Amino acid sequence: MRGLLVLSVLLGAVLGKEDFSGHQVLRLSTADAAQVEKVKELEDLEHLQLDFWRGPAQPGSPIDVRVPFRSIQAVKIFLEAHGIGYTTMIEDVQALLDEEQEQMFAFQARARSSDTFNYATYHTLEEIYGFMDMLVAEHPQLVSKLQIGNSYEGRPIYVLKFSTGGENRPAIWIDTGIHSREWVTQASGVWFAKKITQDYGQDSTLTAILDSMDILLEIVTNPDGFAFTHSKNRMWRKTRSLTAGSSCVGVDPNRNWDAGFGMAGASSNPCSETYHGKFANSEVEVKSIVDFVKNHGNIKAFISIHSYSQLLLYPYGYKAEAAPDRDELDQLAKSAVTALASLYGTKFKYGSIIKAIYQASGSTIDWTYSQGIKYSFTFELRDTGRYGFLLPASQIVPTAQETWLALRTIMEHTLQHPY
Amino acid sequence: ARSKPHFFNFRAGSPSALRVLAAVLEGRATVNPKKGCQVDLVFTTDHYNPEVGEEHLGKCSARVFFRNQKPRPAINVTCTRLIEKNKRQEEDYLLYKHMKQLKTPLDVTSIPDSHGHIDPSLKPIWDLAFLGSSYVMWEKTTQFLHYYMAQISSVNQWKTNDDTIDFDYTVLLHEFSTQEIIPCRIHLGWYPGKPLKVKYHCQELQTPEEASGTEEGSAVAPTELNNF
Repeated sequence: MRGLLVLSVLLGAVLGKEDFSGHQVLRLSTADAAQVEKVKELEDLEHLQLDFWRGPAQPGSPIDVRVPFRSIQAVKIFLEAHGIGYTTMIEDVQALLDEEQEQMFAFQARARSSDTFNYATYHTLEEIYGFMDMLVAEHPQLVSKLQIGNSYEGRPIYVLKFSTGGENRPAIWIDTGIHSREWVTQASGVWFAKKITQDYGQDSTLTAILDSMDILLEIVTNPDGFAFTHSKNRMWRKTRSLTAGSSCVGVDPNRNWDAGFGMAGASSNPCSETYHGKFANSEVEVKSIVDFVKNHGNIKAFISIHSYSQLLLYPYGYKAEAAPDRDELDQLAKSAVTALASLYGTKFKYGSIIKAIYQASGSTIDWTYSQGIKYSFTFELRDTGRYGFLLPASQIVPTAQETWLALRTIMEHTLQHPY
Repeated sequence: ARSKPHFFNFRAGSPSALRVLAAVLEGRATVNPKKGCQVDLVFTTDHYNPEVGEEHLGKCSARVFFRNQKPRPAINVTCTRLIEKNKRQEEDYLLYKHMKQLKTPLDVTSIPDSHGHIDPSLKPIWDLAFLGSSYVMWEKTTQFLHYYMAQISSVNQWKTNDDTIDFDYTVLLHEFSTQEIIPCRIHLGWYPGKPLKVKYHCQELQTPEEASGTEEGSAVAPTELNNF
């Protein structure tokens, strides 16, 4: 009821440009019929410009009245003189209206800057792409946007490059959202992007990293899948490519890389969630990265981010044999998960893909490792199954914050151990 | 270890006393290639719905036997230090009363929504659905396949017949090793203190060439509610 009245006042204010500064809304309590009569007398005094929201009726029924600033004193003296009790429901009507208007418009407004962007909620593809442009515009010296290709359905695929200069410096690659339903990862990617711009020049570790190396961040690695999780099926994992001879859609982009391609640990059934595709790099989303990595030639760490399970993984996924750098990778993983746990106590396990999670062939980091990128890691972020893919938005920022500590550990190690 | 809480939750039959796996303390697996795989475990469990200030860790020991590649492992589990029986019954009854007051038809689609949000008023529905799903998940678990409940994708029917809550819903189960999302239609009947009745039908993976094959799975709950 009150909301409706306030709304009409608001409309009045907007249309008639009235100002309600200092106006108060009083709730009067009348003890008997005589007092009710007195209030009716008050109502008749036009010069007071009183606006009764709930008019005088029976004794005992509350009476609500908006009193303009210049009439307040007179009205209160009158009420007190006649022993009519009152309380102040609204101290300042204009202040309330301003606040409500703000809330109404804020709900629909797009963020004006990366400072007003809401990191604690999930966003659409358009919003994330808009965010990227904002960040680049705000930090043109540090951030640039590269288009590395187009998705199957024709959406641009972007990578943010964080660089303080140099020519083809050694770089660290981070990707999120390769499996579209893992929403906490794209959301974390957005947070990481902002974090990098905040911490350069503030955090000595990150500053040292960016002074010698570049960071490449692909936030929406599977844009078609991501759009599909918003429009049709929140649980969609794969790309959206059509497979000739099948009514099923999509290839698992984390089984499509050229490392043990097609071997045990992926499916040859196009209807399966782990379908590897007709041949390695059949998916443009994967091929775009492959081409980029080969052309760049100087990537030193490659981190691919998934959810859920709370794991930090290194090669191999397609075979049980230990990777040549196993000991170093294991040590580094241990330090990284320790750093991660330091913030909120979130426990991560770590190990090779095949041991810690399951056999998986054609996976991203098996390929990047085979290309000589020693520090190749896959994360599986929160949680361990309670919410799974549908991680509540309230956990986005804590997840991103703790994961960042692990990323920083890996990046710092990469900086300190050039090869 | 994850199948134990599914089985345990189902056996306890109490939506207010759901447990989740906290940590595995000890484990030993014995594999007999002809017969199957036996796993002995000691593990701790936590409240599914933790309450602030409450002591929460329960300790359990279990023996699980998987017949070769077959689902529905045989489970023997005992747990200590859990919610007191009276308290649990009380809470179940409160939950039951709350559920009976819900307006039908329930105007709700997915629980949680895409953003992982569950409206507090719908939480009891989730808990009850989880209880029913626990049975289904246990029945489908093998040494290679394990499940999580991802989402209630639709509530088909919610009514009370002769005091029993009659709940017909579709749930999406996430199978971890294949990463598949499996829709299961579940029909359960619940009255606090009485054994849970569950019937279900899960959709199976489409074959490469054409449309879905389906699997009939239907079971009625064992009738005893044991004290732990």
